[in-house]
Amino acid sequence: MDTTQEIIRLLDEVLSLGGRSATFTRATPLLGSVAELDSMAVVSLITSMEERFGIVIEDDDLDGHTFASVGSLSDFVSAKLAA
Amino acid sequence: MAAAVAPFFLADETGGQRFGVLHRPATNQVRGAIVHVHAFAEEMNKARRMAALQARAFASAGYAVLQFDLLGCGDSSGDFGDATWDAWLADVARAAAWLKDHHDAPLTLWGLRAGCLVASEAARRHALEADFVFWQPMTTGKAMLQQHLRLHVAKDMLDGQAGGGTQRLRERLAAGEALDIAGYTLDPALAAGLEQATLQPAAGGRTLWLEVSTRDDGGLLPASASLVERWKAAGHDVASRVVKGAPFWNATEIEEVPDLVAATTDMTRRERVDECPA
Repeated sequence: MDTTQEIIRLLDEVLSLGGRSATFTRATPLLGSVAELDSMAVVSLITSMEERFGIVIEDDDLDGHTFASVGSLSDFVSAKLAA
Repeated sequence: MAAAVAPFFLADETGGQRFGVLHRPATNQVRGAIVHVHAFAEEMNKARRMAALQARAFASAGYAVLQFDLLGCGDSSGDFGDATWDAWLADVARAAAWLKDHHDAPLTLWGLRAGCLVASEAARRHALEADFVFWQPMTTGKAMLQQHLRLHVAKDMLDGQAGGGTQRLRERLAAGEALDIAGYTLDPALAAGLEQATLQPAAGGRTLWLEVSTRDDGGLLPASASLVERWKAAGHDVASRVVKGAPFWNATEIEEVPDLVAATTDMTRRERVDECPA
C-alpha cells in the first residue's frame, strides 16, 4: 500500500474535493491552504485514517504540524503503521 | 387522498413539542411502520437529504415512515444543551407509540450512526417490540463521544492553541460542566448516557446492518464484522450489507448514496434475513 496515495484518496473523499486531489503531491500544503479542512473535516479525516489504516490516533497526536502537508500526514501514518 | 407527506408537532408531557414528518405509505396495505432515529449533532444535518430519500423510498414500498427531531435538535423544542439521554429514549418511545396509533403495523426502528444506539437503548428501556435497521452504526456511545470531543481538540489545533485533549474535556463533563463543542452545548447528562450506550440486536426481531464504504472491495468495518458475527453466533437474526459510496454523514458536501437506499429498501422488504444477498 502506497500510504501517500491512500492519504490523497482519503482527502479527496472526506473533503469532497471532486478529483481536485489529482494534482496533490507530498509538497501540497493542507492546513491553512485547503479551505475545506475545518474542524469537522479534521475529525472525519482522523476517524477515516483510523479505520482505513487500522491505527489508533491519540489526542497528543493532534498537532498542527501533522496536518501541515500531504507529506507530513503521510509520514505520520507511516510512523504509526511501523510502531 | 391525503398528502403523501405531512409535517406535524408531537407534544411531550412538559409542554414541549417534537417536530416530525410522516411519510404515508403509497400502497393501500401498510407493510410496516418505521421510525427514523437521526444521527448526532452536525452529522444529522449532513445526512438529512439521505434520510429523506430513504423515507420516500420506504413510503413508495408501502411503509409508513416517521422522521422526527429529538429534543433540542432540528425544529423540535429546546436547544441541544437541553437534551438528555433519558429524554431522547423517551422521545423514541413516544414517536413509536404515535406511529402505531396511526398505522398499526410491525415496528422498525431505523437509526443512523449514534441514532442506532438511541434506537437500541430505547427499545430496551421502553420494551419496544421492533426490528432494527442500522445505518453505519456506532457500536459504542463511548466512541461517538470521543469523536465529538475531538471536534473541540481539532478546533484548538486549527486556532493554533494547545488543546487540553479529550481526557481533560471528559473530566470537565464528569465535574458537571456543560461544554460548548462546534456550536453544540453538550450537557453532562447527555454525555453520560451516551458514554454508557452499547449497541444490541433486536430482541426477538431482526437486525439489518448496512454500511457505506469508499473502497471497491469494501467489507464491514473490522469492529462491525466481529460484532455481527457474535450476534449471529448467539442466534440473533442479523443480515449485513456493504455498498459503495461517500460517508454522507460527515462529508464536506451533501452526498447521496442511492445504492444504500436501494439495498435498504430491498432488505427490509424481504421476509427472512437469510434471503438477503450479502
